[in-house]
Amino acid sequence: MATAVAHYSRSRATYSSLRLSVLMFLADPQWLIPSMIAPVIFALVSFELFRGAGPYFLTYAILGAGMMSMWGQTLYGSGWATDQDREFGTLEPTIQSPTPYLYVVLGRVLWNVISGLIGGAIVYAVILAVAGGPPPVTNPVAFALLFVFVMVTLASVGVIFAAFYVYTRYAGFIQNVGEFAFYIGTGCMFPVVLLPFYTNPVSLVFPPTWGLDALRYLSIPGYHGFSWGFAWDLVGAVGTTVAYLAVAGLVFHRVERHVLEVGNLGWY
Amino acid sequence: MAMATASPTAYRPSFWRTLWTNAVMAPRTSLGFMRVDFVLGTVFVIPLTQMVFFAFVVQLGGGGSSAIAYTVVGNAVATVTYSSVFSVCQTTDSEKHQGTMEHLLVTPANRFALYFGRGFIPIAISLATVAVGLVYAVVLFGVSIPASTIPALAVSVVLTAFAMVGFGLLLGGVALYLRTSLILGNIFLFVGLLLSGVNFPLSSLPLPLQWVGDALPLTWGLAAIRSAISGDPLGTTAVLWGAVALAAAVSFGAAVGLWKVFERRALSTGSIARY
Repeated sequence: MATAVAHYSRSRATYSSLRLSVLMFLADPQWLIPSMIAPVIFALVSFELFRGAGPYFLTYAILGAGMMSMWGQTLYGSGWATDQDREFGTLEPTIQSPTPYLYVVLGRVLWNVISGLIGGAIVYAVILAVAGGPPPVTNPVAFALLFVFVMVTLASVGVIFAAFYVYTRYAGFIQNVGEFAFYIGTGCMFPVVLLPFYTNPVSLVFPPTWGLDALRYLSIPGYHGFSWGFAWDLVGAVGTTVAYLAVAGLVFHRVERHVLEVGNLGWY
Repeated sequence: MAMATASPTAYRPSFWRTLWTNAVMAPRTSLGFMRVDFVLGTVFVIPLTQMVFFAFVVQLGGGGSSAIAYTVVGNAVATVTYSSVFSVCQTTDSEKHQGTMEHLLVTPANRFALYFGRGFIPIAISLATVAVGLVYAVVLFGVSIPASTIPALAVSVVLTAFAMVGFGLLLGGVALYLRTSLILGNIFLFVGLLLSGVNFPLSSLPLPLQWVGDALPLTWGLAAIRSAISGDPLGTTAVLWGAVALAAAVSFGAAVGLWKVFERRALSTGSIARY
């Protein structure tokens, strides 16, 4: 009797997931909102609020809105994809497939990074047009590299979120209610040190907090962020990102096992 | 074969029954994000986080206490958009998605009662959202709202809630023709932050953008609320109330008109209920 041989590869699953994310983004214009339109509006609002405060505040506006673009994609994209899978009844087959779910999520997160970068570029172009010139950046190459790294730190949060979204039926709630809380907590538009001191430990749990602080140290002369400065910010960003990515594999493995045991994955 | 014809005594639900049924049922069926947790988050969490966010942005930009007060009041009112515009606008999507649009389009129920009824709970939630936001403004940010201004403020808030829900229904009407209403709801969720004088006076914007801002009910509602808080003479505030009431009437009227147009189109082409 002929038996079916399972042919699968993790890279193929990730590529297919990435491709599907791109196609869904193009087919559904609502994704333009969190990743591109909302950040541009936030950038314009902050530009207006920072008007007259000095040339380096342009950097605040661009960095902040760029980060919000990526946050928007991370928060909404990951949650929406899992929710849609659950609603369409494709979450169970996906989890049951031989490819670990982590590699499916990885494709989505990769698209979040790419669209976040595109959103950041759009924000940059709009602010450039409105301000009539680019913000002064002392080391553009290092800035660009660190910016991409901060996107990776956000992606690491996205992976953990995606695992959590498999469990919860409250992804939409977290997205809507948590949006501004995440912007505040990670210091998207202003340094976290402006917040009350007792909130700082919570902020430091998130890798983007460290990355953003480092990015501002690099690009804004006289910046007053965390007292330990640029180098330790960088160490913290790398450390927390590695920790998130290391934990992600374990979390996904346990989540997959648990939901298969409980058997309530498809409940909506 | 006998042909069925509509009898003059055929059941037709009364205006009030339609209004009440829609008011009670819509939050559980077609209104997006109307679960208890969402409502509590919308009323208590979103205003707080949005106000804190923009207050810190203003502080970083060197704005003083008056600039912060301006921003927190603006955002306290702007958060009304979540329940009034975003949620109400999604009724169209929900109907299409759940497959109930066709049934809705052939029902003999009074259309005004049907659409207006759906706005009842969002109006109540909008009132609660603004009230909680203004309490945060007073308690956490030290905004001064004298007791003598509260009656005028209450009128302004109620009118704004009606106008914003009307605007949400209008967008829902437009969305009948679109594949999804989410994009419209989302755009107007954020556009108000820029064009309605939420974070800075409208006069800071280029003239064409000011005109766009003037077309939004939030602009007039916010102006009326600011006028009431600052204790302007009743005549000044009343003019703004007139503008908000006009925005509400135009929004509700245009919403019902749009639904009628698209209903006719739906019945003739049979395609409007496709998702």
